[in-house]
Amino acid sequence: MSLEISINKRTANIELLSRDENKIKIRVDDKTYDLDIVMVENGVYSLLMDGKSYNVELIQNQSNKKYIVNTLYNSNDVEIIDAESKYLKSRKKDEMDENTAISSPMPGKVVKILIKKGDKIKAGETVIIISAMKMESEYKVKKDRLIKDVLVKEGDIIDGNQPLVLIE
Amino acid sequence: MIKKVLVANRGEIAVRVMRSCRELGIVSVAVFSEADRTSMHVRYADEAYFIGNSPSNESYLVIDKIINVAKECDADAIHPGYGFLSENANFSDRCKQEGIIFIGPSSYAISTMGDKITARQTMQKAGIPLIPGTDKEISDEKKLLETVKNIGFPIMIKATAGGGGKGMRLVREEKDVISAVRAAKSEALSAFGNDAVYVEKYIDSPHHIEFQILADKHGNVVHLFERECSVQRRHQKVIEETPSPIMTKKVRQEMGEIAVRVAKAVNYDGAGTVEFIVDDDLNYYFLEMNTRLQVEHPITERVVGIDLVTEQLKIADGEILDIKQTELFQDGHAIECRIYAEDPDNNFMPNPGVIKHITEPLGLGVRHDGYVYEGYEIPIFYDPLISKLIIWGKTRKEAIDRMKRALYAYKITGIKTTIKFLERIMEIPDFVNGKYNTHFIEENKEALFSYNKGTTKMEDIAMITAYFDYVTKLEKIQPQRLSNTLGNNWKDFGRKKGVLRM
Repeated sequence: MSLEISINKRTANIELLSRDENKIKIRVDDKTYDLDIVMVENGVYSLLMDGKSYNVELIQNQSNKKYIVNTLYNSNDVEIIDAESKYLKSRKKDEMDENTAISSPMPGKVVKILIKKGDKIKAGETVIIISAMKMESEYKVKKDRLIKDVLVKEGDIIDGNQPLVLIE
Repeated sequence: MIKKVLVANRGEIAVRVMRSCRELGIVSVAVFSEADRTSMHVRYADEAYFIGNSPSNESYLVIDKIINVAKECDADAIHPGYGFLSENANFSDRCKQEGIIFIGPSSYAISTMGDKITARQTMQKAGIPLIPGTDKEISDEKKLLETVKNIGFPIMIKATAGGGGKGMRLVREEKDVISAVRAAKSEALSAFGNDAVYVEKYIDSPHHIEFQILADKHGNVVHLFERECSVQRRHQKVIEETPSPIMTKKVRQEMGEIAVRVAKAVNYDGAGTVEFIVDDDLNYYFLEMNTRLQVEHPITERVVGIDLVTEQLKIADGEILDIKQTELFQDGHAIECRIYAEDPDNNFMPNPGVIKHITEPLGLGVRHDGYVYEGYEIPIFYDPLISKLIIWGKTRKEAIDRMKRALYAYKITGIKTTIKFLERIMEIPDFVNGKYNTHFIEENKEALFSYNKGTTKMEDIAMITAYFDYVTKLEKIQPQRLSNTLGNNWKDFGRKKGVLRM
């Protein structure tokens, strides 16, 4: 089965050519690798390739197709791109363009909301302040916007990536 | 005799204090907020009591609640740890009124050292070397300009109630003085509710070196040498080590004696830390005194061989200090790395969440002071410190090599941590050579942040692993459809055999 996979900003086509227990032959674009891969702990894989030992950690990120993959010195955003995720991506662009809702990438607490529904605000104005672990982050608008709705109130505990304020 | 201690704190420091209590046969009492029911300090303690909602101003900072628990469970003493109520003079007083031993100094020492201007005046009287600057709050802007010219540029404007880098402004030219003072005042007002600021000469390549002291209630004071804390990010310490790579025997002795004098000037008792700013030529100036146990205290414990919490408990109990200055020496080298739940690739954004997996480093010379475990959710309400890795080696080089090995073996998944960032610091030549000051992270930004995003081969390995994981999961959900492409003939064979046997 061949899959499109993106890593950071690069996209590659990957296909499993053969497999015998842990030993696999796999093609990444035009390169072929022979390796021994086994999950040693939950979320941690051990890979042996050309006699070298690699430990790779996988952390599922939001969906079962998105991973944060940690190799020795790097943390990579990896996504499996299949028909479904391609479709979701194109839809996301229409509906949940990053400029239609303001959200925080981390969980936290709403400290202050500086706008109300119906407000017209200018580029660079702060909309909402979120605090997590004693650090406050301000979320601003990049362009002039109209506040369509405010979905949270001050003091609310929020999840990461939860829409907080809808803008237009 | 102290028989029962309430630890008015959470996280790694609460666990660390309870460890010493257990060794001494003292019963430990934990207090916890709503978010901390499953926290390690609650599990580790002999007794644990609920004290309120998750935000610290409704739990760990509420003096009444903590005193009530202490009285109800009959605790003899309260250990405040660091942060929270540890440097709160009212709390120290209140404990005294209620007949509970506060494990820390008197409210006089806390309040004198807590207000930076009072501290400066007191130290000036005691003849302690100070950074040239104003010893009063400055409100008249004209007068301020004159004073600043006398001190000489560059200068630093600081909030009197300050800490953590808030309300601070560096000024290199006269024309920027007034605007910087106004900005610092407004920041100080919003952060501390007090807009008083003062001015100090700014040392261009400063080292932050502090001395650990221990003082009993009978006037005996010793120092336990220095800790070099110059690796800082936004005035927050990241790595500490002892001995300092720039220290000489002569200066160490001088500074140690001054640290003892500082403690005596405020009738200090307990464990405390005297902070100095030191320039490249080893000129040193008193900065402030922290009237509590420090986060980085374990490196001192490691090279000096003394349990500081045990000493705190003995001092609080009124015992006479049985440590002699002449018998103290530093054995080898110790380094501490602080591991935070922060994303170093994303401007150190706090990263609370569930720990999916943790592998703590082990082996010779490794100490790990932490509190998280697999399945534990780090709450959003408190400090992002997860743990401290304290490494000892016979030499500085051995300690660095060992730290690299330990950081490599330290795995936490589920949340982002600063482990990789610390590993990179261990590779930076300025750190390896011991030639760094508080600008270290800023000066090595390039190497620390815009490091090579990995080779194609490593990217391929990352993608292969993700592919394998994804496909294996699919296989588990839909074994039929995929068995054609990824089928395992031995499994099929086994299944067929099984059917035949029936």
